Amino acid sequence: MTITALPITAHPAVEGGLQLEVTNISPQTESIVSITLADPSGARLPSYVPGSHLVVQYGSGVNAYSLTGSGNGPTEYTISVLRVEDGAGGSVAMHQLGVGDRVYVSRPRSAFAPASTATHHLLIAAGIGITPVLSHARAAADRGTTSSLIYVYRPGAGAHVEEARDLLGPALTECSDRNSFQKVLAEQLMTQSLGTHLYVCGPVAFMDAVLDQARELGWPPARLHSEAFGAAELDDGEPFTVNLVRSGLKLDVPSGASLLETLEKAGKTIPNMCRKGICGECVLPVLRGTPQHRDLYLTDQEKAENTTMMCCVSRSEDPELELDL
Amino acid sequence: MCSASMPPAAGTGLEPGFRGVICASFGATGDTAGQHTGVQPRHDLRFKAANPEALSELRSVLERSHVGVRLVLAGPPADIRAAAAAAAECGLQQEELTLLSDETAPRVIYCPHCHATTTTVRPAGSEVQCRGCATSLATTDHFSRRMGAYLGYSAHAEEAS
Ligand code: FES
Ligand SMILES: [Zn+2]
Repeated sequence: MTITALPITAHPAVEGGLQLEVTNISPQTESIVSITLADPSGARLPSYVPGSHLVVQYGSGVNAYSLTGSGNGPTEYTISVLRVEDGAGGSVAMHQLGVGDRVYVSRPRSAFAPASTATHHLLIAAGIGITPVLSHARAAADRGTTSSLIYVYRPGAGAHVEEARDLLGPALTECSDRNSFQKVLAEQLMTQSLGTHLYVCGPVAFMDAVLDQARELGWPPARLHSEAFGAAELDDGEPFTVNLVRSGLKLDVPSGASLLETLEKAGKTIPNMCRKGICGECVLPVLRGTPQHRDLYLTDQEKAENTTMMCCVSRSEDPELELDL
Repeated sequence: MCSASMPPAAGTGLEPGFRGVICASFGATGDTAGQHTGVQPRHDLRFKAANPEALSELRSVLERSHVGVRLVLAGPPADIRAAAAAAAECGLQQEELTLLSDETAPRVIYCPHCHATTTTVRPAGSEVQCRGCATSLATTDHFSRRMGAYLGYSAHAEEAS
């Protein structure tokens, strides 16, 4: 199936967005392709905050992809898509796009913004996690602040490696194995000036390891920024219990089942659309406990407040969560 | 958080890349000695007041240190507020900062008549005799970062005129 025409209707998650045309396709690796989108009339596109993502419709579904540019006065949007064979089909459909095809996209959304007071950005990426981090590196270069990047990828499977080398020069450290990465990471975490903020993107387990090590070395949460990746990469998660205070119900959320599914099974109707943490429809108020935020919708600050959560993807850090439901 | 067991580091001899606890105290006897830092290395700084020299020394110490460092500020409220602002400008985050505000710590009072400064342990609002010109000075809560002192004013100005 090739998507040559726009779907008849826009998915609600991209409503109020843009209709763009594919202007370039360039394979990055065997499984990663970069797709460039532009307004068919050549008009300038809305600027975006570095680290923003775009929700793109494929057929009847939607997916979120990080924008790789600096975001400053763009005439095109470029995203890179990793093909996930056993995913929901979005990435496979994206890989079949050709130049001239049209797609519905949302306006860019920011959930991984740079700290305005930072004077240096320590960027850490694994695999396809390079995409938002490249945006940060470009924006930092534009604004005249410095950045350095530790990029972990399997040999021969690194996207945007050449661009990263051009952009960062000696400030780029490439790692292909765990041990060398651990060494570089520990050393960098101990040698940063006080104006430094850390940004990490990659698989959840990778990010957790980086953030844990940073905390151990005395980095407070205000310096740490992370972006969880799309639903395809989310693991099953630990089981936990939710206490629905207003309904007087306690439910067990087993590993592998989402909180949203569990609530639906118990007869609750929760508004939802994308079911992958990007549209913001399934938000729930949290009364007690710390959610494990795995969505792309809430901002860093909203996540830190721990008063709301997106129940389609997010879980719990604590054995029990209390919800205002 | 700081401990008296470790002797204060000499002068500004802070090794580059310091990631321990910096304890800066303001006021003649205001100090962080009662605090203990546990096992973390500690660097002590003592200042009479948060004057420009003190703040620039604090800045240079922070510029040499690395993320992971913690800062403890002890002394009169206005001094530590001025020092906290300087630390924030260096990129220090709130969570990395502990303020030990001491309302009874000695304060430095600036005399507008003879420009001398007088140290007092009396609380704000009380009177102190200027050690320069013996004018009776009422102390204010107004701290001048430029002078590194609280501004005093002649307590009996109305009567004198
Ligand atoms: S349904 Fe879209 S964020 Fe949960
Ligand atoms: Zn005087």
